[in-house]
Amino acid sequence: MLMTHVLDLQFGDRIVTLMAALVLVLQIAMVTQRWIVLHIRIFAAQSFFLAMIAATIAWYNHAPHLYVAAGLTLMVKVVLVPILFERLVKRMEIDEEIEPIVNVPLSVVIAGGLTLVGYVVAESFYKPGEPGLGHNALAVAISLFLIGFFTMINRRKALTQVLALLSLENGLFLAAISLTYGMPLIVELGIFFDVLVAAMVLGILVYRIRETFESVDVSRLRRLRG
Amino acid sequence: MLLLALLLVPIVTAAAAFLARRRAAMEAANLVGFGAVFLIAVALAARVLAAGTVSLANGFFYADALSALVVLLTASVALVCTTYTIGYLRNDQQSGALGDDASGKEQRSQLRMYYTLTPLFVFSMLFMVVANNLGVMWAAMEITTLVSVFLVTFYGKVTSLEAAWKYAIIGGVGVSMALFGTLVAYYAGRGLTGSEGLSGLNWSVLAQHAAQLDKTSMRLAFVLVLMGYGTKAGLAPMHTWKPDAYSEAPVPTTAILSTALLNCALYCLIRYYILTSRCLGSEYPGRLLLLFGLLSMGVSVPFVLVQKNFRRLLAYSTIDHAGIMAIALGIGGAMGSLGLMLHMVFHTIAKSLLFLCAGNVYQHFRTDLLSKIKGGVMRAMPLTGVVLFMAMLAITGMPPFSLFQSEFLIVRAAIAGGHVLTGVLFVLFGTGLFTGALLFVGDMVLGPRSDAPTAKRRPWRDGSLLALASVLVVIAFWVPTPLLELVRQAAHVVSGQ
Repeated sequence: MLMTHVLDLQFGDRIVTLMAALVLVLQIAMVTQRWIVLHIRIFAAQSFFLAMIAATIAWYNHAPHLYVAAGLTLMVKVVLVPILFERLVKRMEIDEEIEPIVNVPLSVVIAGGLTLVGYVVAESFYKPGEPGLGHNALAVAISLFLIGFFTMINRRKALTQVLALLSLENGLFLAAISLTYGMPLIVELGIFFDVLVAAMVLGILVYRIRETFESVDVSRLRRLRG
Repeated sequence: MLLLALLLVPIVTAAAAFLARRRAAMEAANLVGFGAVFLIAVALAARVLAAGTVSLANGFFYADALSALVVLLTASVALVCTTYTIGYLRNDQQSGALGDDASGKEQRSQLRMYYTLTPLFVFSMLFMVVANNLGVMWAAMEITTLVSVFLVTFYGKVTSLEAAWKYAIIGGVGVSMALFGTLVAYYAGRGLTGSEGLSGLNWSVLAQHAAQLDKTSMRLAFVLVLMGYGTKAGLAPMHTWKPDAYSEAPVPTTAILSTALLNCALYCLIRYYILTSRCLGSEYPGRLLLLFGLLSMGVSVPFVLVQKNFRRLLAYSTIDHAGIMAIALGIGGAMGSLGLMLHMVFHTIAKSLLFLCAGNVYQHFRTDLLSKIKGGVMRAMPLTGVVLFMAMLAITGMPPFSLFQSEFLIVRAAIAGGHVLTGVLFVLFGTGLFTGALLFVGDMVLGPRSDAPTAKRRPWRDGSLLALASVLVVIAFWVPTPLLELVRQAAHVVSGQ
């Protein structure tokens, strides 16, 4: 019984779909979140499920290099980046987030609308005859990308914007594994290196903005005009 | 081997500058390093002219005439700017712009940061241009942003932090769109022969099979890539980081950002343009490029006309020229491509020269505000004044300078290709920019003020200024045959005819 499931492609597709749905739910949870530490942890959880999706696709489609991608996601996005950011939050002693620009209920509605857009765009990639995993995953990936964009515009705190950028990147990773079973390994390595460095660079910038402006509210950055 | 050396030398330079203890050693490391990079770039250009293409490590690195030209321009700008930097940063150190702690320790660490990050910045640009794999090209582009963010915050002012934040966030979003585009392009080429594994994203492989790429996917890929790399090139409406970053970074960095990095971003666009036009015909990508190009030209006109800050004025001029080059690419064909490549060469020379002049003016008057400089440049610094005026004439496309030739060629290509409206708008916007730029710069250089103190001698800065200015003058009348041949072959790569 168990063995048939372990080899059954359809079952794998269902697992991927389930986890992709979880990833989407977590993304929408991020839209509603006001506590920065919780925001970081939701991001970590989302990245964890993403790594699981990668591992599942690697197993069912016999794409061993995706295990590497899954491992890197675990290391970089589930462990390193959240630890880095939580330490940053502690050092800067920011614990709450001010109101987003669009209020929470409306933000959720917008996020739902963006999910619909994601499904419509993903439809054009779907070819009925083609076997494979993750048709739903692609729709989720595009939704993640769009909601990430929206969150970036909607938030004023620097660190939240960085987290939104990283969750947008998560959407890209999901698109990569569901469309093409990942990029070539060396490209994958390059991307992870870049994500890690970007997180550090942006973290340093956030810290320096906090030091200089005594706030991480980026709407205060408006000296340069015209 | 040449390609490997091209990438290794900047890395070694960065390491040497990082380990150096004295200022003179850091300066020497950079000067020697970039001198070597320049020589290697020339050798690469010669090799490409003789052999067509150069590749290394199973096609992981790949250079044709287009890459060789962009490499050559990047290396030349880096060399000139480094020479200039030596005088520029010494002056900063004396005038206390780097902070004035007694021990000089903090100053030295700032200098070390500059002289280490600049070779890394140049390395990432060169890596991007000679990488065959579109994914690796993307990763290198991301590195350029990450490295140069700390060059933008160099002076650590409140405003430089703001500029760096905008630069990093807008650049980050843009680059992630480019990654999405890269991904979709990879998907479009899935299942082609010879596209298994790593080489599936190799440009040379994809270009060979471009006609068989999945058409719907390529459509989406090109839009995403245009938005993504267009952000890095500063095409409107993704241009907003540019004036801020350009006016806050140290001047030599700005000169590199506004010429070499712009060329590299356009280079990425060109690579995708070639793939897309071979797959879908040139009309689809061409129209999109014309749209963004005209928008960039149009947006920069009002900002130039009401500008108060000299370096921001130059930034808007760069946005305008990014638009011009996007338009040239959008028109395409043999004539449009030739116009594009010539314009890239000429713009690189004139714009880097302008920024170096801006550096001299800024360090002398301690301000970028046009109203405060108001004349006096010519009296205080005759050489800078003359060169600045000349370069400004060149950048606005006045004959006899060579940008006139390239812009004329682009307009001709537009009319001949049936894009009459584009041609008319091009000339209209060009006139607007000419008026604004010349009005302000004329006022600044030739204005009535006479109480400005005259400057001391600036051997490093004025030397590099003079060298670049003579290149600008010479190239207006005579383009060396090998360079012209390289430009022709690069245009041939773009148009395929």
